[in-house]
Amino acid sequence: MQNKWDIDGHAEPHTVNAETEKMKSDLLTLNMGPQHPATHGVLRVEIKTDSEIVAHAIPHLGYLHRCMEKHSENLDYRGVIPFVDRLDYLASMSMEWTYVAAVEKMLGTEVPRRAELLRIMTVELQRIASHLMAFGTYALDLGSFSPFLYAFDEREKILRLFEEVSGARLLYNYIWIGGVWNDWTDEQLQRVGDFCDAFEPETDKYHALVSVNKIFLKRTVDVGILSVQDCFDYGATGPVLRGSGYQWDLRRNMPYSLYPEFEFDVPVGTGEHGTVGDCWNRYIVRMREVKESLKIIRQVLKKIEPGSVMGKVPKVLKLPKGEVYVRHECPRGELGIHLVSEGGDSKEPYRLKVKSPCFTHVSMLPLMAPGQMVADFVATIGSIDIVLGEVDR
Amino acid sequence: MLDTIAAGINAAVPGANAQVLNAEDAKCDGSVLVEAAHIHAVAAHLKASGTMNVLQCITGVDYTEYLEVVYVMAKFDLAAPAQLLLKVRVTDRVNGAVDSIVDLYPAANFQERECWDMLGVRFNNHPDHRRILCPDDWEGFPLRKDYITQKDYRGMQVYPEGKMNMGDREFIVRQDMIKKAQEAAAGKVQ
Repeated sequence: MQNKWDIDGHAEPHTVNAETEKMKSDLLTLNMGPQHPATHGVLRVEIKTDSEIVAHAIPHLGYLHRCMEKHSENLDYRGVIPFVDRLDYLASMSMEWTYVAAVEKMLGTEVPRRAELLRIMTVELQRIASHLMAFGTYALDLGSFSPFLYAFDEREKILRLFEEVSGARLLYNYIWIGGVWNDWTDEQLQRVGDFCDAFEPETDKYHALVSVNKIFLKRTVDVGILSVQDCFDYGATGPVLRGSGYQWDLRRNMPYSLYPEFEFDVPVGTGEHGTVGDCWNRYIVRMREVKESLKIIRQVLKKIEPGSVMGKVPKVLKLPKGEVYVRHECPRGELGIHLVSEGGDSKEPYRLKVKSPCFTHVSMLPLMAPGQMVADFVATIGSIDIVLGEVDR
Repeated sequence: MLDTIAAGINAAVPGANAQVLNAEDAKCDGSVLVEAAHIHAVAAHLKASGTMNVLQCITGVDYTEYLEVVYVMAKFDLAAPAQLLLKVRVTDRVNGAVDSIVDLYPAANFQERECWDMLGVRFNNHPDHRRILCPDDWEGFPLRKDYITQKDYRGMQVYPEGKMNMGDREFIVRQDMIKKAQEAAAGKVQ
C-alpha cells in the first residue's frame, strides 16, 4: 500500500527539495467520532492528517462496552440468549444461533429437522436484512440518500415477519436451546415465498441504481485494497475476505447444521471495475450474497415438512466439564463462541468469549488508512460494515 | 489430529513440552497445551509449517490457580480446513507475562490488548500495550474471578446505591405485592 505518509517509518523517505520543503506541514490530529455518522455507531478514530491525506489512523474502542461476557457468567444458559442478541443488533438471529449451537454441542441435543430448517430460513432472511442495511448506509455514507429508503422499505418487510413470529423487530430471543420458540404457520411461510418473489427484481434495481453508478464507482473502486495475505494476517473473514477473492465460506467449507443439503454459490470479488479487494468488491459480494440467501430460502420452503420445533432439553441445563469453540458464518464474518463449563452442579457458563468479526475488521483500519483521502477513509469504514455493539460487546 | 500437531511442535521447538488435553466429555473440544515461555517459537512453527495460517482470537480463562491464555487458530484452506485451541498457563497473577506474537500474526495486536484489559496478562514486546475496551485508568481486570468493581471512577460512583434499574424496582414492588396478598389471604384463613 502507498505509505508515503507512514509515520512509523516503514515507507521509503520521499525526496526533499525546495518545493516539498515549502509544502511540508505538521500532521494535524483529528478525532473522527464517537458521534460521527459515518462511523456507524460510537467508534472514535483518531486520525493524523496531512491536509486531506490520512497519515495514520488509531481506532479507540469501548464506548459501547457493556461487559456482556462478565454478565453471562452470572446468568443461566438460557438467560444469556437475550444478551447475545444485543451484540450485533442488526443480525440478532445469527448471533443467537451461534451461541445456542455452542450450548447444544456440549449438551448433545438433537434438534428436530423442522426447527433446523426454520433456523436456516430465519438466519438467511436476517442476512438479507443485514446486507440491506449495509447497502443503504453505505450509499448514504457516499452521499446518495435514496438507496437507503429503498433498502429500508424491503428490510421492514422482513422485520415485520420476524415480529409476527417472535414478538420483536430487532432483538428476538427466538432461537432457543433445542429448537426455536415459535412455529411458523403455512400462511406465514407462504408470505416468505411471496416476499422472495417480489424482492428478487428489486435487487436488480439496486444494482442499476448504485452498483454501476458512475459516482459510486469513483468513490469505491481501488480504495482500501486488501490482499488475501493481509486478510489472513489480520484474521479477516466474511465479505471482507471474500471481497479479496478468496472463496471461503463456513457454510460451504466447514458446513454445520443442514447446509450440506443446500445448493448455493459463494460469491467472491472478481474485480470487474478495478483491483480485487477494494471497497467496491466488498460491497458487491454482499449484494450477490443476498441472491444466494434467496436461493437457500426457496429451498427451505420446498423441503419443509410439518413436525415439532423443539427438541428434548432438560429443564435445568447442566453442561459437562469442558469447552467448545463454535464458529458460524454471520453476515459480517465468522462469529466464534468459546464456551467453558466447569461441570458438576453449575448452571452458568464459567466463561463465555465472543470472537467478533467486526473487532477483527476494525483492527485492519490502521493498515488501510495511510495514504487515503479523508473522504476515502469514510468509504473504507463503510465497506467493512461494522456494528459497534459487536466490536465492544 | 491434535496428536500430530503436538508431535510436530515437540519436534520443532525443544522444551515446548506440548501435550494434548483431551476433553473428559466426548462432546467437548480438545486442545494443545504448551509451555508459556515458548509460545512465540510455537506460533512461528505453526505459521512456517503451514499448520495454521490464521489467528482467530486470543482469549483467557481464570481458573483461580492459574490464568489460561487460549489462542484460537484456524487453517483457511479450501481442501483441508482445521482449527486448534492452543493454550498456555500463567501462574503469576501479578506479573504474569507471555511473549507477544504480533510480529507473526498482526491479528494478535488487538486480541492481546483485550486479553490484558480483561484478564491482566501482560504481553512482552507488544507494540501498543494499552487497555482497549475499558478506560485507560480503569482499575482491576474485569474477567478475573476475584474482581471487585471499583467504587469511584473520576468522582463518579460506579454503582450508586439509591439508583436501581426499573426492572429491579418493579421486581421488588411485585414481590411486596405478592407478600401482602399472601399475608392477607393467611389472615382471612385465620
